[in-house]
Amino acid sequence: MTGAPNSGSAIHVDALSKRYGRTLALDGVSFDVGDNELFALLGPNGAGKTTLMHILCTILRPDSGVALIGGFDVVKQPLAARRRLGIVFQEPSLDDRLTVHENLNLHGLVFGVPRKLRRQRIEEMLALVELTEWADKRARTLSSGMKRRLEIARALIHDSEIMLLDEPTAGLDAQTRDRIWSYIGRLRNERQITVLVTTHYIEEVEGFDRVCVVDHGKVLALDTPEALKRDCGQQLLRIVPKGEDNRQEILTRYADRLAGEAGESILLTSDDAFVEALLAEYGGRIRSLAIEVPSLETVFLSLTGRELRDQAAGARESTLAFGKRGGEHTR
Amino acid sequence: MTSAGPTAPTARRSPLLIQLGGLYGIWLREVKRAIRDRGQLIGGISRPILWVLILGIGLNPYFRGEVYGEVTFVVPFTYLQFIFPAVVALNIMFTSVQSAVSVIWDREFGFLREVLVSPMSRGMVLLGKVLGGATVAVFHGCLVLLLARFADVPLTWLDVLKALGLMAMLAFALTSLGVVIANRIRSFEGFGVFSNAVILPLYFTSSSIFPIDPSLSRAQTRVVYPDWLVTIVEYNPLTYAVDALRGVLINYNQFDPRLGIAIMAIFGVVLFAIALFDFRRA
Ligand SMILES: Nc1ncnc2c1ncn2[C@@H]1O[C@H](COP(=O)(O)OP(=O)(O)OP(=O)(O)O)[C@@H](O)[C@H]1O
Ligand SMILES: [Mg+2]
Repeated sequence: MTGAPNSGSAIHVDALSKRYGRTLALDGVSFDVGDNELFALLGPNGAGKTTLMHILCTILRPDSGVALIGGFDVVKQPLAARRRLGIVFQEPSLDDRLTVHENLNLHGLVFGVPRKLRRQRIEEMLALVELTEWADKRARTLSSGMKRRLEIARALIHDSEIMLLDEPTAGLDAQTRDRIWSYIGRLRNERQITVLVTTHYIEEVEGFDRVCVVDHGKVLALDTPEALKRDCGQQLLRIVPKGEDNRQEILTRYADRLAGEAGESILLTSDDAFVEALLAEYGGRIRSLAIEVPSLETVFLSLTGRELRDQAAGARESTLAFGKRGGEHTR
Repeated sequence: MTSAGPTAPTARRSPLLIQLGGLYGIWLREVKRAIRDRGQLIGGISRPILWVLILGIGLNPYFRGEVYGEVTFVVPFTYLQFIFPAVVALNIMFTSVQSAVSVIWDREFGFLREVLVSPMSRGMVLLGKVLGGATVAVFHGCLVLLLARFADVPLTWLDVLKALGLMAMLAFALTSLGVVIANRIRSFEGFGVFSNAVILPLYFTSSSIFPIDPSLSRAQTRVVYPDWLVTIVEYNPLTYAVDALRGVLINYNQFDPRLGIAIMAIFGVVLFAIALFDFRRA
């Protein structure tokens, strides 16, 4: 690495804050990402993930705090930081009128990759994301999954050492998501790059080195997926009481154990003794009961007090829900 | 992957070379996009045909004052010849502003973000954009030059070369103007707003479709034309650009041709500086 003043960790974030009007999008976020680490930033919509990404890629100034990329301050030495970054934004940023190859070539030119290396990289990266046959097609003709893959390829045309991916798999089908993760895994091993990914798909972060859970601009937890499950993966009890009066009674009785409510069901922090006690008392007044063993999902739930999936209903889901309710022009 | 390595080969390249390569990349993108925009191309071809062949030929017989009784002044050219340089300017205008408006799309659809996280300086990004737009505009101006034969405008290669220089200056200034306007617009209502609010008013008040007679004194001019119109024409910078172009193409000047060059240069630099100032701040 060329004279990085504060090398040690690939990404260093210290007490970063950012306010938009009244919303505090980031509230003193601090963490470090080590070299060659696969690091996930997990949080519901509006948690501040994209704000953090934009600060890291130097297009947004933090109100306070420090962010270093490969040792370079994103505010004071943005050019040096940018040269090391490969970025995939949450919103698509391809040029639809250019072909796949032209998009990659433009990126190479703008990042100053010499012609020979540029050609070679474009070929390699197209092969990696399996788009070689599409090289001469206009970007507009690609499916959204293919566009995402192209954007990943593009972020790797220059000598990127640190990849920032903002929800690279959002809205894609399971098969495409798997493929994208496999590319990222291969890259990490072959090119020794550090990867910071934001996501709200909890099942995807199982394979990561470390997971940082954020909400309301704050870091709620930061550890390996295993440790998170062990430490804050509180066993939860999901019960659906019979009728409103029973529901109210349980709610007041176990107010201190209440971990969340989702639809009809109530979530209570529990252990084996509690389950027995509850069953003895309310066994007949409960319609259903489920014990949720610790998973990242329950970790998340106990940290943020809300269910990720409910929060993350995308445009498609809400349109579908609208249709199911019999909204206008759907019948 | 063999090319991957911890040492960065691009870091060894001179920064100037990187900036120039990026400039070329952005310029090339701009040109390619314009070529692929069929609507823009159709406009660039149909506009000169309508203005030169239909309007020019149609109004040609009415241009010479001596036919109709009291002669006020005589321009030693046909209307077709007179309007020809102005149509070159018109085509450049439309295309420049149209290219500049794409800044709005770049901002909306994320392309801008992609280049803003590159090592390119913002000035270079903007310069590439403006030069690209200006190149396409000059190309559309050349489409008009192809009609020179129909307009009875004889051109030597030297004339064409001089005209290209002026056209490039005009295109640069107008593309910068387009970017300045586009930067100030938050919601985009379509290109029609631009053409109605900016291009056509500028064009019609630039002495492009009627001459202000140079042989008349200032007072006499204001007798022939209403006061306000003469004032607007005199204050419109485009008047002097069209005039300089006319000097090269049909050898007829209403003002000092150097005035046109100076005005285009000054406006080009100032408008680009304003565009850059906005761009840096955004
Ligand atoms: N440009 C902006 N102007 C005002 N408020 C903003 C702006 N960008 C983000 N916010 C607010 O800041 C908070 C964090 O937003 P951010 O986009 O960082 O969340 P996120 O975690 O990326 O969410 P998502 O999962 O929806 O992408 C939100 O409350 C959002 O409304
Ligand atoms: Mg986001």
